[in-house]
Amino acid sequence: MDRILEIGAYSAGFCGRLFAHAGHAVTRVESTQPPAWASQDAMSLFLHPGKRRLYADPSRFGDLAAEADIVIVEAETAEAAYALGFEHWTTPVKVVITPFGLTGPKRNWRATPSTLLAMGGYSQIIGDAGRAPLSLPGHYVEFQGAQFAYTAANGCRFAGESNTVDISLYESLLALSQFTTVMWSCAQRVRSRHGSDFYWVVPSNLFACADGWVYINTVPTFWDAMAAFLELPELTIDPRFTDNDLRMQHRDALHALIANALGAVSKAEIRRRSVAARIPAGVVLTFDEVLADEHLAERGFWQRIEDSDGRHYTSPSLGFCIDGRARKPMTLRKIEADESL
Amino acid sequence: MSVVNGPLKGVRILDLTHVWAGPLATRILSDLGAEVVKVERALGRGLSMPVTEPIAGWIGGEPGAEPWNNNAAFVKLARNAQSISLDLKQQQGRDLFLGLVAVADVVIENFSARAMPAMDLGYEVLSARNSRLIYVTMPGYGTSGPYQDWVAFGPTVEPMTGLGQMLGYSDEEPRNSAMALMDPIGGTTAVSGLLTALREREQTGKGGCVELSLHESGVTFNGPWLIEQQLRGELRPYGNAHPEMAPHGMYRCRSRGLDDDADWIAVACQDQQAWQGLATLLGDEVDPDWDLSERVARAEAIDAVLETWSLGIDKDAAAQTLQDRGVAAAPVATAPDMLAETQAQAREFFVPLERFATPIPGNPIHMSGLSHADWTPCPPLGAHSQSVLHKWLDMSPQETQQLLDAKIIAERPPD
Repeated sequence: MDRILEIGAYSAGFCGRLFAHAGHAVTRVESTQPPAWASQDAMSLFLHPGKRRLYADPSRFGDLAAEADIVIVEAETAEAAYALGFEHWTTPVKVVITPFGLTGPKRNWRATPSTLLAMGGYSQIIGDAGRAPLSLPGHYVEFQGAQFAYTAANGCRFAGESNTVDISLYESLLALSQFTTVMWSCAQRVRSRHGSDFYWVVPSNLFACADGWVYINTVPTFWDAMAAFLELPELTIDPRFTDNDLRMQHRDALHALIANALGAVSKAEIRRRSVAARIPAGVVLTFDEVLADEHLAERGFWQRIEDSDGRHYTSPSLGFCIDGRARKPMTLRKIEADESL
Repeated sequence: MSVVNGPLKGVRILDLTHVWAGPLATRILSDLGAEVVKVERALGRGLSMPVTEPIAGWIGGEPGAEPWNNNAAFVKLARNAQSISLDLKQQQGRDLFLGLVAVADVVIENFSARAMPAMDLGYEVLSARNSRLIYVTMPGYGTSGPYQDWVAFGPTVEPMTGLGQMLGYSDEEPRNSAMALMDPIGGTTAVSGLLTALREREQTGKGGCVELSLHESGVTFNGPWLIEQQLRGELRPYGNAHPEMAPHGMYRCRSRGLDDDADWIAVACQDQQAWQGLATLLGDEVDPDWDLSERVARAEAIDAVLETWSLGIDKDAAAQTLQDRGVAAAPVATAPDMLAETQAQAREFFVPLERFATPIPGNPIHMSGLSHADWTPCPPLGAHSQSVLHKWLDMSPQETQQLLDAKIIAERPPD
């Protein structure tokens, strides 16, 4: 079991969460947090159960770090990271997460998830043509950076190496871009926005149904099954739609037919039909529906979280499970003033 | 052994993954030094004669003499790997695979939940050959539960996570990311799971089965909202606004004349200091003393003033101007913008590793001992079909040539 010191906001917090769930001893130094997409209560209940939490003056960070095997530091800029003095700490594995990394001309640029998503190529392809690009809400950026930080720190521990790891949230996004840059480099095509339409594979779009929305994704091998799902078998012999290139040419006509076919069908019926036809379709679920979802419940996905006042919440556990182990309840502890590990 | 140095050097991975999430995971692992051997069907990269252009085009812009090796989207995810083309549906191919499993550390696949058991290659079979094996399986909805057999792709799993409640212009205009967002989440989650299992194996000496579903990986990323829903009830899409920042949004900039729908800047006024910096730029129509609640109340008017300013300047200059005043801001980047961006260039993020010096996204993990100078390009299909068997199973060149002749292994797709 490693001793982890966590200093920072939501990326460090998610990284520490991974360590805490894996059974390591995580100590989090609490501090003023940047703006979040949910309340600070919700952020803490999600990120910090199972951790020791304490307040500590920055002058004490070096002492705290000396007691840890891994320190995860997240800072607003490279300058802010260096101001903490991490390079002098004696911790074997030090992971520093910043928006742009510790070097380079923009190392001290200020950033938020939305500005990083813009630079990282995501915003340009989310939303409608001719309208403002849509910034992906939530903490995708920080959580992905956290997974790289967790990977690097565990890699170092696995190899028995001491090291300092520099994680750039911006580069994390660039590394996870779909095929945006190679499409330009190889085919000279610049990706842009097409609403919810995955432009190159038709039909792949979001359609209104009787009580919500459904996304279908029709890679060519699923075309016949998709026609069966839509209860429009005639589509398979319609000369406008016999291959993906033709379906791209006649996209609007096909979308109109699908919208008409699904408009009066309920989400429940769409799910029944998509399973029967074995086609990829997903209905838009609300958070209440996700929390009540029978599949997630049956798989034991949820974790019971208790706060320091004894109230209980349902939280997603880790995104992975080893050997089918049951998810254990965890507690969000009170913040301590104690500064010793 | 891998020629890439890194903390995972010596970890042998049999990679049966395809499309995006799985290959992304193994690319990350290979960047850290793991020896990744792609186990591919002879037709796994397509026919010997191309039927259609791949979605991201061909490396070098044309299919070339070996089109199956030039699919840009595939190549982007396969650096540092070796490739063995093996027919798992033939008994001899299956036996060879099980021989490789016996000396591997990891098997990773992202087939449907049915696929590996249907080939009698499920975890129980593999772990019987190697008790230290870590098996990573990543089906869309997992290997149990009512949805286990549902067909899943990233874009159809996304709405099932609840993200559709928040992503959109308004309640009436939900949107899908249309970029298979669950795949990169699943890819990095698989890597986290594998590293966790590797560390556990150090303690127990035993392998294990790491299971993740794209669905649960995605739901986890929505964790704060799922708890907020229990604390305070209904959440709604913010469009490009933010619950704790104002102004916050996308603002149109002066056209660069490129017709790419990308003359926009993202601005996020993250604190009072940033607002004061922005207010000095926007002039008398705004008050630098407005606090967050006042800025939220006046958001529409502030947005209008801000866009009046941004329309007079191109997105790169706008971002720099705002950054100079302490405001988080960035241009909305297209692919050419991303490749020309100075920060990425300074840190040599894109690596011209593949043929025609095609730049490929690099590794966001920077630490001493890791260098892209070690990297090798995407291997041709089956390029290591014989050498992996020589090295891992101590087979002779004569034996592997016989396997090639019998089409148990391959070095190119069948004609």
